[in-house]
Amino acid sequence: MQRAVGSLPLGPALRARLAAAGFQTAQELLDTGPCGLSREIGISKEEALEALQVVRQECSGDAARTAGGAGTTRKCTALELLEEEQAQGFIITFCSALDNILGGGVQLTKITEVCGAPGVGKTQLCMQLAVDVQIPECFGGVCGEAVFIDTEGSFMVDRVADIAAACVQHCQLIAETHQEEDHQKALETFSLESILSHIYYFRCRDYIELLAQVYLLPDFLSEHSKVRLVVIDGIAFPFRHDFEDLSLRTRLLNGLAQQLIIIANDHKSAVVLTNQMTTRIGQSQSTLVPALGESWGHAATVRLIFHWDKSQRLATLYKSPSQKESTIPYTITPHGFRDVQPPAVTQNTESTEMNPRKRPRREEEK
Amino acid sequence: MAAKKLRRAKLSQELCERLSRYQITTCQDFLCLSLLELMKVTGQSYRNVQKLLRQVSLACAPKMQTAYEMKVRRSVNPSSAFLSTTLHSLDKVLHGGVPCGSLTEITSPPGCGKTQFCIMMSVLATLPVSMGGLDGAVVYIDTESAFSAERLVEIAGNRFPTYFDSDEKLFCMTRSIHLYRELTCDSVLKRIKSLEEEIISKKVKLIIIDSVASVVRKEFDTKLQGNLAERSNFLARGASLLKYLAEEFSIPVILTNQITTSLSNGLAIPADLVSPADDLFLSEVSGASGSGKKESGCVTAALGNTWSHSVNTRLILQYHDLPTRQILVAKSPVAPFSVFFYTIEKSGLVLQGLWIKWLSAPAVLLCSACLPQMVPMAGFYA
Repeated sequence: MQRAVGSLPLGPALRARLAAAGFQTAQELLDTGPCGLSREIGISKEEALEALQVVRQECSGDAARTAGGAGTTRKCTALELLEEEQAQGFIITFCSALDNILGGGVQLTKITEVCGAPGVGKTQLCMQLAVDVQIPECFGGVCGEAVFIDTEGSFMVDRVADIAAACVQHCQLIAETHQEEDHQKALETFSLESILSHIYYFRCRDYIELLAQVYLLPDFLSEHSKVRLVVIDGIAFPFRHDFEDLSLRTRLLNGLAQQLIIIANDHKSAVVLTNQMTTRIGQSQSTLVPALGESWGHAATVRLIFHWDKSQRLATLYKSPSQKESTIPYTITPHGFRDVQPPAVTQNTESTEMNPRKRPRREEEK
Repeated sequence: MAAKKLRRAKLSQELCERLSRYQITTCQDFLCLSLLELMKVTGQSYRNVQKLLRQVSLACAPKMQTAYEMKVRRSVNPSSAFLSTTLHSLDKVLHGGVPCGSLTEITSPPGCGKTQFCIMMSVLATLPVSMGGLDGAVVYIDTESAFSAERLVEIAGNRFPTYFDSDEKLFCMTRSIHLYRELTCDSVLKRIKSLEEEIISKKVKLIIIDSVASVVRKEFDTKLQGNLAERSNFLARGASLLKYLAEEFSIPVILTNQITTSLSNGLAIPADLVSPADDLFLSEVSGASGSGKKESGCVTAALGNTWSHSVNTRLILQYHDLPTRQILVAKSPVAPFSVFFYTIEKSGLVLQGLWIKWLSAPAVLLCSACLPQMVPMAGFYA
């Protein structure tokens, strides 16, 4: 109640007038009442009432927060978090090696970024995840829906249909071997049409449409509460050209990252972004690095880099708070994103060379 | 969408006037500001500003469609999803042909048949739908002055002798191919911007730009400072305009590109090899690099990394064993790496009988470089 007037979310003109009139704390405003306020400052009674309502809401919010109730800031112990994390589902990628290095799959409530050269399989992975998020719980999935925001135009419906058909077939095989009732029931609703109708597709042509769409995303997700995956395919593309003001770009990207973190947490969904690679010209040689600059690297919690090694596609876990840096091979078949057969592969020592700026982890277990 | 005026976003008149005093007139200006700045310029409280943001976003945001609706729309109109190239095996691998609604790039060293391919596709686009065409006009933007109308007529007459049996039909076909000669980057960009109205008025069903690389490489010397960024800027703008046209009208766009040699003593070697199919070995390595060993002088598609991200499908033409050449599917969202052999005849490109399906990339490299005979390799799904 002793909150300073300058910190209240009122319009700046109103704040200036209140300061000029000498009001200092929120309690004073509440005590004056709307009629008194309108007389002293010279605003209409309706405006004064509106301002007081805002002040009252803010103060009650503050009180709730200090009392430790459920407010906008969440407080919990690490034990509660641990239980939450363990109960959480992962979105599997159908490539067991990739799932292993991610610790089970793409994690919900976290932002995962996939970087890679053109043609290496980023969009394929996104399409695979948009199908995999819908796998029913009895088969080990999270039974959610997917939002696909496309900025590059590389979403091919026919390809998604192929991937979805392969996934349904896979689940049918599992159901046949296990012969359980809930498997059969789940399979009734898990069909090609239902998978495709639960992928919500947005095509954003430039960065303004992308920004607008991300502003509207929380409302959309409240309406479609079953969404567990938000894919933005090509976050780099709209920001990489036509931007003279790089500081504006950094600001917009940071704002975008913040909103996505809020969305991921509030709606318990995974956010997957794909990024491009750009050539950084160094003194003697040039290297491929993820686009959008150094500061963007902080936005994602988990970072995967897809690259080529002669003719093998490799995925490297570049940044993760809980898993070790490692590289695995994968392949893309007509059925989608899969392991390389045979799955037994020796650990690649190149993983430390991938990132010369990180200290290599020493193997402590022998 | 971004240039939409705030008035049309249904903001109140006085708010629009107030914002225009701060030079904020379009949705783009509005959405680029932070919340505090918005509070300052609108003079409203935090919650109201959030509501305004939502309102403006609603005016800009794209429409939602489910994947199922998209599929249904495509299946209702299957012939409009692809332009068949009449190279039967290539069409099968590409699931129908050159896809509509996305950019396809043809890259090759000089003389392999890019322009021949483009001329052939122009003929195909004017054919009626029953014969696999799109029954529409073609916009051909020629930057190298390589288009030959006589060759066009020759290909048409020899490939479809039964259809083009009269002069009347040939003239009708040639009338629907609109040729523009543009010699600078600026004029190419201006032409692309003007295409939207042309497409509607002339019922255009195919856009060909032959070639993008020649204008760009003439004007931008990447060794000079600042030119690399400008070049990427130009290419990115062109690519996004073309993508918009391709998607809006659901038509294919074909672009041609050149090959560049990246020298080992210069910049950018392993970095530029964005995919193994880019690492081409030619039986005739042009110019300076000399030794043709793997370390020095490997060839890649020109125009750099950013451009490779913008195109959706990439076909590479190469020399094989004169007169046979080969066509490689290097990047495609629906097709794996494949190689087909062809020759250039009177009727355009003709696929040879022998072709290797589902090759792994090293085999492709070996085939093209040293070994004239075919080496069977492990399959793609092994």
